[in-house]
Amino acid sequence: MFSLFVQDAWKVLLYSLVLGAGLPIVFALGVRSLALGSGVPGGSADGDTAVRPAQHPLGTVLAAICFLVVIAGVVVGLTYVIAAGKGEQLSFSHVYPTIVPKS
Amino acid sequence: MAVSEQLIIVILVTVVALGFDFTNGFHDTGNAMATSIATGALPPKIAVALSAVLNLVGAFLSVTVAVTVTNAVVNIQDSNGDPLPAYTADHGQALLMIILAGLVGGILWNLSTWLLGLPSSSSHALFGGLIGATVAGIGWGGVHWTGDSTKLDGVLGKVVLPAVVSPVIAALVSAVGTFLIFRVTRRVSSGLNDRGFRLGQIGTASLVSLAHGTNDAQKTMGVITLALIGYGSWHHTTSIPLWVKLACALAIATGTYVGGWRVIRTLGKGLVEIEARQGMAAEGASAAVILASSQLGFALSTTHVATGSILGSGIGKPGASVRWGIAGRMVVAWVITLPMAGLVGALTWWIGDVVGGGLPGAVLIVVILVAAASFIFFRAHHQPVTSDNVNDEWQGAPSAGGTRQPVAA
Repeated sequence: MFSLFVQDAWKVLLYSLVLGAGLPIVFALGVRSLALGSGVPGGSADGDTAVRPAQHPLGTVLAAICFLVVIAGVVVGLTYVIAAGKGEQLSFSHVYPTIVPKS
Repeated sequence: MAVSEQLIIVILVTVVALGFDFTNGFHDTGNAMATSIATGALPPKIAVALSAVLNLVGAFLSVTVAVTVTNAVVNIQDSNGDPLPAYTADHGQALLMIILAGLVGGILWNLSTWLLGLPSSSSHALFGGLIGATVAGIGWGGVHWTGDSTKLDGVLGKVVLPAVVSPVIAALVSAVGTFLIFRVTRRVSSGLNDRGFRLGQIGTASLVSLAHGTNDAQKTMGVITLALIGYGSWHHTTSIPLWVKLACALAIATGTYVGGWRVIRTLGKGLVEIEARQGMAAEGASAAVILASSQLGFALSTTHVATGSILGSGIGKPGASVRWGIAGRMVVAWVITLPMAGLVGALTWWIGDVVGGGLPGAVLIVVILVAAASFIFFRAHHQPVTSDNVNDEWQGAPSAGGTRQPVAA
């Protein structure tokens, strides 16, 4: 039973790291790109804002991509919750998630 | 025994179960919303209202059957969910008394930890109460301690092991997330960081609320349905009466809306001083661990995960400090939740049994519950924590004795 438990715990850790730490980091990259795109004063968070950097339109595009990735992740999460409630589960065997009856 | 006596008992069980569901709601509001309230991402009242609505929606989303909920820890049902025949004589009186005493154990432990502002697990309180009442009513053999080598089950596999490991996983994920988020955004102005991450926080906290509603409301639905089957007024183990679903969803949502401000305060202000970036990392980690665990059928407590995540966001932020004294108190509360709720559940069952069980026993148990709960609310009223002072500067955990300065200046 303990080895089963370790296996499960390991999987939970792995999935959680990818989704639970990965997506917020993508979100952070989005915020960073947004700052770049809008030319919001850079500097440190303490307010070292002497120079206003130039705007980089590419930053805005990158930000949009990052936020879309995060939204997609949240949609998958929501779909999971709803599917689980109906006695089904998400399958990732086709790479993109599909809803299948719970095994 | 006249049938009408058991009818009153089953009504008492239902009302007490809904009472437990209510405490489950307000004890756990902080799991999802404490960080959003602490960082000002949402005004306190709006946060609890949002969480309440999402818990309500979550409770209705879960149409899978939770009638077998007690099977994880005690042997009072068969694998289909039917109560064992040994306990169904006299309209399930033996079964009803065990459930009632178990629920009382869960409620009283939830209220006690709430008074102290400690986030303890409502599922552990429920399971602990049921285990205690089962030991008192049936004996040690009535408890399902471990699974076999083919699946994780029993008190050890479904409750104890996940409780030990899940907060560590959540803390690790949240710490990694926090650390990297701070790396990535260190050159971004604090204004943009706060605006951006507050939005992210609201999104992730909403996911946690929804997941909470689908997980926790089901447990009470299962317990009430089991009582109804034992009594003989419901015969399906594959579905739950609509009114039970409705009542449980409303009970947990109302509890959430009332807001366990004492627990919210400890989680949001006591453990670590939190800012929006940490809040998003913490709730993102919580949501991911909860969802990944239920996908893998790995039982755990939302409270343990949420607390672990918030702690992790303090560990991961460069230069942040964690109040380890508070963390230690929480760990103690986690460890003793199951045995203490069990003790109260067992005592409650014995008290009911001493007066002969049946209707007098059930009524006495409920009177004791109401008296003890009133006493706890009275103590809490001495040092109230509300939506107005939930974010005040941290001076110490709310204490029951009133020896410290009141939180509200």
